[in-house]
Amino acid sequence: MADLLHLFRAEFLKLSSTRTALGLFIAAIVVSVLPAVLVMSLVTRHALSDGGASIAASGLTVVPILAVVFGILGMTNEYRHGTITYTYLTTPRRGIVIIVKLVCYGIVGAVVMAATALLVVLSIAVIGGIRDIAIPWLTASNISDPGTLRDAAMFLVATGLMTAFGVSLGALFRAQVPTVAGVVVWALAVESIITVIKPRVGIYLPFAAFQQLTMGGTTHVGEPVGLPTLTRPEAFLVAIAYIAVFSVAAVFTSMRRDVT
Amino acid sequence: MPVIEVEGLSKRFGKKVLAVDDVSFSVAAGTITGFLGPNGAGKTTTMRMLVDLVRPTSGVVRVLGGRYRDLSRPATHVGALLGASGFHPGRSGRNALRVVATSAGIGSDRVDATLEMVELTGAARRAVKGYSTGMRQRLALACALLGDPEVLLLDEPANGLDPEGMRWLRRFLRERADEGRTVLISSHVLAEIEQTADNVLILSRGKIVAQGPIATLAASTAPVVRARSPQAEKLEGLLRAKGAGVNRADSALAVRGPSSAEVGELAQANGIVLHELFTEQPSLEDLFLQIAGTRREA
Repeated sequence: MADLLHLFRAEFLKLSSTRTALGLFIAAIVVSVLPAVLVMSLVTRHALSDGGASIAASGLTVVPILAVVFGILGMTNEYRHGTITYTYLTTPRRGIVIIVKLVCYGIVGAVVMAATALLVVLSIAVIGGIRDIAIPWLTASNISDPGTLRDAAMFLVATGLMTAFGVSLGALFRAQVPTVAGVVVWALAVESIITVIKPRVGIYLPFAAFQQLTMGGTTHVGEPVGLPTLTRPEAFLVAIAYIAVFSVAAVFTSMRRDVT
Repeated sequence: MPVIEVEGLSKRFGKKVLAVDDVSFSVAAGTITGFLGPNGAGKTTTMRMLVDLVRPTSGVVRVLGGRYRDLSRPATHVGALLGASGFHPGRSGRNALRVVATSAGIGSDRVDATLEMVELTGAARRAVKGYSTGMRQRLALACALLGDPEVLLLDEPANGLDPEGMRWLRRFLRERADEGRTVLISSHVLAEIEQTADNVLILSRGKIVAQGPIATLAASTAPVVRARSPQAEKLEGLLRAKGAGVNRADSALAVRGPSSAEVGELAQANGIVLHELFTEQPSLEDLFLQIAGTRREA
């Protein structure tokens, strides 16, 4: 147990002693807080009052993709810089190393998501207040509503899971650039194409499942209503299944691989 | 009882490369053992198999009586330096050590102590990307020493060190051995090994070709007779006719087989003038080159 705590501490120390986690946070701010500020500052009051303020928060949907990339970098950097040698020298039980990394990165991904979402909401509230715009979904009663809190919690859980998913992908494929490029292309293009051609298959693809977890029942933003969807519990199970399969494969291959 | 035991160890990469071929050796406690071999001989692969970084194709490795992975907090028993890489370039030297120490359950007081030991305290808060090769090598050595281990595995530790650093390393390793610790050190600087090690293992093309105390191995190797003559070519022919091994470079000859007296008498009998004639006891380098299958130019 003490050894496990040492590993967790070491993993968080790795994160705090480089700029990767900070980079994720900055990137998350750029893709979500910045658009929120611009939309709230530049769009007409009428459009914002009419529900347009929701668009200001839509940048948050990109953060989970960044979190996957963050997870991939967390694992592939170990191979890229050769730090995996010391990691495995101190902890030859490689499976434990991977599991600790999955948990740590999951936590950090969720925390970054929470901080970013808080900044987005604050930006919208502050600018809305300055411009005297009423944001219907940003009222005290709506924010404290159990449904809203559940949605927010799901968003954090999904982001944490996606970060862990990134770690398992990184452990499995090791090569940083091809893995990141492959995941971005898969998430942004391949899955969308498959979902359009075969919607019933598309909803079970990994990023669609993660997204359904956060969106509560739509496959992709902007897609026509009426497509088949998974319920949140189903989406959660599918997401967990993907993480389990990739993590087991990552642990298995890591145990057999030579560190040369 | 040996601290390191290797039996029938082999490692194959893919179908074509047999990096280590049925290697067996043991390393006794409190000794410094030099691990020698030309590039690609399989030294690094063998050392990585000792600490479970590379999985053997066949064979058994025992460190301190068992598998490395079964040691409790292994970094406190075995310190390994396996090259000067292995550090995130954006992390400071001190933080790199803190990461290793934390995951190994070693206190931060050892981090500062080892930084001081390898004389990196002044650069401890600088990012590793700004370190010279020698500094990275010393940082890697600090990582190996963090857990104050009883066994040290050092793969080319002198790489990038200046002469003062190499002298420090030599003294440091001797002190560790005198304390009863065990050191397995690979190096291509044979003079360093000769001055430091008690025993040597010589690896060639994945196989152990010699092992034992340096003095014993040297004694088992024929001395070289060196001669210099303006008629070196004629003398070379005569020596070869008598079955001696000869290397010639201009007027200089290196002769294996006959004694210096026999070479002198042969020259005298054939009217050959000699400007120089002496017997040279083989150095570790001679021994290494001879055993590893290469030949030094005369």
